[in-house]
Amino acid sequence: MRILIVEDEPDLLRSLAQALREEGYAVDSANNGEDGLFNAESYDYDAIVLDVMLPRLDGWEILKRLRKTKKTPVLMLTARDQSRDRVKGLDTGADDYVIKPFDLPELFARLRALIRRSANQTTNIIEIGDITIDTAARKVSLKGKPVELTAREYSLVEFLARHRGEVVTRTQLYEHLFDENDSSLSNLLDVHVSNVRKKLGADFITTRRGHGYCIE
Amino acid sequence: MKIFKSIKWRLQLWYGLILVVVLAGFGFTAYQLERGRVLRKVDDELNMRLHLITDALHPPPHRPGFGPPPPDRPPEGPPMGAGLDNELPRPTNQFQLSAWAEHFFGTNDGQNFYYVVWSRYGDEIAREGAVPTHMTAMKAAEPVDVRTLDGFREIHSTFPLGEQITVGRSLAPELKDLRLTAWRLTAVGTAILLVGLVGGGWLVGRALRPIDGISAAAVKISAGDLTQRINVAETESELGRLASVLNSTFARLETAFAQQQQFTADAAHELRTPVSVVLTQTQTALNRERSPAEYRETIEACQRSAQRMRRLIESLLELARLDTGQETLKRLCFNLAETVNECAEQMKPIASQRNVNILTGLAPVEIIGDAERLALVITNLLVNAIQYNRPGGEVRVKLEASAGLAVLTVSDTGPGISGEDLPHVFERFYRGDKSRTTSNGNAGLGLAISKAIVEAHGGTIEVSSRENVGSTFTVRLPLG
Repeated sequence: MRILIVEDEPDLLRSLAQALREEGYAVDSANNGEDGLFNAESYDYDAIVLDVMLPRLDGWEILKRLRKTKKTPVLMLTARDQSRDRVKGLDTGADDYVIKPFDLPELFARLRALIRRSANQTTNIIEIGDITIDTAARKVSLKGKPVELTAREYSLVEFLARHRGEVVTRTQLYEHLFDENDSSLSNLLDVHVSNVRKKLGADFITTRRGHGYCIE
Repeated sequence: MKIFKSIKWRLQLWYGLILVVVLAGFGFTAYQLERGRVLRKVDDELNMRLHLITDALHPPPHRPGFGPPPPDRPPEGPPMGAGLDNELPRPTNQFQLSAWAEHFFGTNDGQNFYYVVWSRYGDEIAREGAVPTHMTAMKAAEPVDVRTLDGFREIHSTFPLGEQITVGRSLAPELKDLRLTAWRLTAVGTAILLVGLVGGGWLVGRALRPIDGISAAAVKISAGDLTQRINVAETESELGRLASVLNSTFARLETAFAQQQQFTADAAHELRTPVSVVLTQTQTALNRERSPAEYRETIEACQRSAQRMRRLIESLLELARLDTGQETLKRLCFNLAETVNECAEQMKPIASQRNVNILTGLAPVEIIGDAERLALVITNLLVNAIQYNRPGGEVRVKLEASAGLAVLTVSDTGPGISGEDLPHVFERFYRGDKSRTTSNGNAGLGLAISKAIVEAHGGTIEVSSRENVGSTFTVRLPLG
């Protein structure tokens, strides 16, 4: 899962990015409106955390322009708590609204809900055969027994599970699992896939040569 | 009681009381006049009869063509006067009224006239009609005396020789009429009073109705709905003018309240970001074990946020103190040029970092005021001029005395302030750039504080700006 944070307060941006990375997300960040809009339009993020008050281009404007091309779920982050601001945010196309100061667990829960809804799922539990994925706890179990996965491996499983039945290209996987800070070694993805197959079964992920991967 | 506290009911009460007094006075007067008229009529009748008896007792000398016929002539038909058949003085204990005169007394005509005649010795010598039981001879000082006694009207006459005559009649029919008149007056008065009260109530209610409107609006406003206004239909009346005044007061109240709300919201908003930083930093750091370097980084970020909050709180307190006038400014005479120079020197390192040149042209000017606070104003203006400047730009600081004022101008060669923003730059939390530039920790209070300080010194601060040429801030302070 790849997330974009647009926030102009450097300390807040840094700690948010760190916290989200520790949650297993790939995180890009922008500290002004123009860069934020550029990033948002360039990639298919799984979610965007967008501050309202930004230099150069404010959150409303970014949202308005972004909505012309993309449906990326957007969580607005703002210090304005008046109801008319919230209404404006939601009407402009924001998917959720969090008021500063916020609690990190709540922000994470809202992000998870946002990503889940955008994949048309209503619960945190995805079941595929013997395998159960709890997206809230970020835990995977096989036949009821928990399976230890690294954060990256979990993200790979979750992304494929959310796009169950679709062929997910390697580019898509790169875009959603790695952020701009990761050095994208071309075989890194293969390593993760092979590790997941070892832990969850060889036929859990099928390879479509020349296309990508798929969970049936 | 509540009802007597109401202006409407008090007005009604007073109005009703006055109406009662006026009607009672009128009714009483009317009754008295009527009574007087009736009594005069009765007195006239009594006087006429008194004369008949007087003539019978002391017949006047006969005058041809007047009075009763000569006494030696036998009376024929009803006599034309109270003729007595003997002109010689007679013993007065004999008294006889002619039949014609008799006709005026007694009960035969339903009028109930009576008379009593006493001799000079006090003996009753004649009586006729329904004489009331109280009748006695009187020792009246007045030759003629009129009295009303027990529903009887009497005229009492005393002759020089001592004979006394009392002529009277019962006032029963008149009293009955008068009672009827009194009842009629009371009934009419009561009717007028009722009509008056109803009409007065209507008038009072009508006059006070705008007050109900005013109080209804005021109640809503005191309940917190500051958008309420009194519906002013007639602006020229007394209440209309009051309503207009109240409306403009309400409008000012609403504006002040909205400003206050905006200020509070802005202040809260400014605090939200640093608090978010502290929360996010600490929650992230506490999520798992960290290296000392990471903890250090977290603590430093928290410190920066705390500093920012401290600056904000200080600014807010400064503003609040200046607002309430609690802040006591020092009043010392000092050379403003020196202060300006010190500030400019302090800012030079920051200016050279941004490749901005500070040029000063300072004439020595003595003023009375708080040097420390005015230095804050100058520093604020210089920081702005440096921050909103182009690389290689200039900040010109000029100080001169002119027309009893110290005039300080700070000009920059920056992008200028747009016409849209220009009227608002001294407002609290206002930023030309709608977005927050948190990196420099500027909450948008600097110019608001500067303005408050300058105004506390009895001075003015204003700004002029041309886009792409630069802005000029002018501070005018009274000379010491």
